[in-house]
Amino acid sequence: MTSTLYLAVQYLRFHAARSAIVVLAVALIIAVPAVIHLLLDASERQMTARAASTPLVVGARGSTLDLVLNSLYFTGDRPPLTSVAASEEVWASGLAAAIPLYARFEAQGAPIVGTTLDYFEFRGLEVADGRDLAVLGEAVLGATVARDLGLAPGDSLVSSPENLFDLGGTYPLRMPVVGVLAATGGPDDRAVFVDLKTAWVIEGIGHGHGEAAEADDLLARTERNVVAGPALPTFAEITPENIDSFHFHGSSDSYSVTAVIAVPNDERSGVILRGRYLDREEPLQIVVPQDVVDGLLATMFRIGRLIDTVVATIALAAVLAIALVFYMSLELRRGEIETVFRLGCRRSTILRLIGAEIAILLGAGIVFAAVVVSAIAAGREDLALWLLGSWE
Amino acid sequence: MIGRRPLDLAAVALLTFGAGTARAETLDVRTDSYPVAYFAERIAGDTAEVVLPVPADVDPAHWVPPIAEIATFQQADLVLLTGAGLADWTTRTSLPRSRTIDTSTAYADALIETEGVTHSHGPEGDHSHAGVAPFTWLDLDLATLQAEAVAEALARRLPGEAALFEANLKALAADLATLDAVAEEVGALAAGRPLLASHPRYQYLARRYGLALESVEWEADKPPGPEQLDALDALLEKHPATIMLWDADPGADTRQVLMNLGITSVVFPALANRPADGDFVTSFRDSLASLRAAIVAG
Repeated sequence: MTSTLYLAVQYLRFHAARSAIVVLAVALIIAVPAVIHLLLDASERQMTARAASTPLVVGARGSTLDLVLNSLYFTGDRPPLTSVAASEEVWASGLAAAIPLYARFEAQGAPIVGTTLDYFEFRGLEVADGRDLAVLGEAVLGATVARDLGLAPGDSLVSSPENLFDLGGTYPLRMPVVGVLAATGGPDDRAVFVDLKTAWVIEGIGHGHGEAAEADDLLARTERNVVAGPALPTFAEITPENIDSFHFHGSSDSYSVTAVIAVPNDERSGVILRGRYLDREEPLQIVVPQDVVDGLLATMFRIGRLIDTVVATIALAAVLAIALVFYMSLELRRGEIETVFRLGCRRSTILRLIGAEIAILLGAGIVFAAVVVSAIAAGREDLALWLLGSWE
Repeated sequence: MIGRRPLDLAAVALLTFGAGTARAETLDVRTDSYPVAYFAERIAGDTAEVVLPVPADVDPAHWVPPIAEIATFQQADLVLLTGAGLADWTTRTSLPRSRTIDTSTAYADALIETEGVTHSHGPEGDHSHAGVAPFTWLDLDLATLQAEAVAEALARRLPGEAALFEANLKALAADLATLDAVAEEVGALAAGRPLLASHPRYQYLARRYGLALESVEWEADKPPGPEQLDALDALLEKHPATIMLWDADPGADTRQVLMNLGITSVVFPALANRPADGDFVTSFRDSLASLRAAIVAG
């Protein structure tokens, strides 16, 4: 038996490239469907848990899917903007607590989430290193962002311009990192959190600069208002020295947010609150994330079943192709097998030799597939989050 | 690791609306000015520990809390802000919206815009906002509205104590109404008499009680310089006042300088910070008495 295995291994080593292709094909046939199901299951868990813990989301009327995905996973699918007045409306209703979110900008590839401290309490997020947000311009990082970017309290990161060709657009803001959150295994690990007002500074609504009246390119001056030119330089970082110069323009009610998480006092309050947004003429909509995610999951499972069918068909074709490869291989080796037989080797020994070769190839393929599946299984939650977060 | 109070969905709402919470210990209430702290102390009684962390010798309008102090505001059960632009630091600080109440929202329409230059960026740009006078409590009607906002915020946090808060508010409102009646009387006495203020702090007092008040910008701890005296002379020509209100005692030298100009100094603390003696009501009452005496004497 040992000599049979030895000969089989030597044969496969001699035809290393061909053997590797067969092993890879076997591994793919096994691993692909397994990985797809692992990721689908992980995505379902992530989406269901996140949606279930977010009772209601208010946002501008438009795609409910964009609104929910952006609010829950900070995806790049940005819903139409609404104003912070939507949050105050929820507070004023007395029916729910309101947590505004402004998930529009990015810093070094990670989404910047402008919100209030209530968000951290609502999600149960804890600062593992450093401290909470305290003053304008500071950032607290999710655990994964801090790890991937190698940042810790005391470092800083810079917001990314929205559009490189938009010269009049947002300017990068350098933000000191004051804290890193404990890992949660959720989308919060991949976000950069700032105060809502800091997000408005990134947007350009708020900024700091020297005396406008002393600007070189003053456009106009009246008794009560100075019109500074667009070239008036603004500070790119909020420091203790310049923080007092930071101010906001326009009506505070009009400042933008992407969504408002509403946390009703009780079920009845939630129903009443939802009723207030039923009018189609109302510019705002309120959605139950669980409902939206359930609809999305149903679609995902339909797609999953379709993928299963496709993968099964391809796997069958691949199995047939591998069988053909073995058959052709045996045909090519007919002369070699005949020579071995004439040298006195029994047919059963020859069969054992060929069987050992096939078993080794299938075994190696299975082991390879198991390694790949295990590796992905270990990081499936992160991978699912990444997939959810990178939907564009 | 910094501990954070665990919150579930209902708890966030309860933080705001407080329905059904039973009181286990006194509430930690933080404020940014003395009037709001005083109202909270009167209304909450022993159900809350009300903290005004501004040092006694610092004007709350100019105070900026260190990071450690901001953290205590963030961890408080309730943060009661004066609003009306008094504490500018609150606009650049992260405070939990669910536990932070601006007690001036009920009278936002009654705020007095201060003179100042705004600016915009480009002809189409939005303007920055002009400032508003922050010493709203010197109008005792507004002070009563502010006290009601304080009572409402406390009742939301501790609904089980709502009856106590209502009773305490009623007593406080009665005190404020009595003060208001005295202030109206003093206002009637001062009708038509030009008055001066060492600082622009008494806008609401002047509007509510019909005082003809003009302000200069003098410091109580610094005698006036020649330029300030020249400006005062110019002002006196069109506004011949014989009484100047001071937030703090200006000292004998400044009193004498003013006396030489025929102006009596009256200390009328604006009460943004805790008075050295007495409380909001007694200090306000004493100030009104001093003003009345000066008017009668003049």
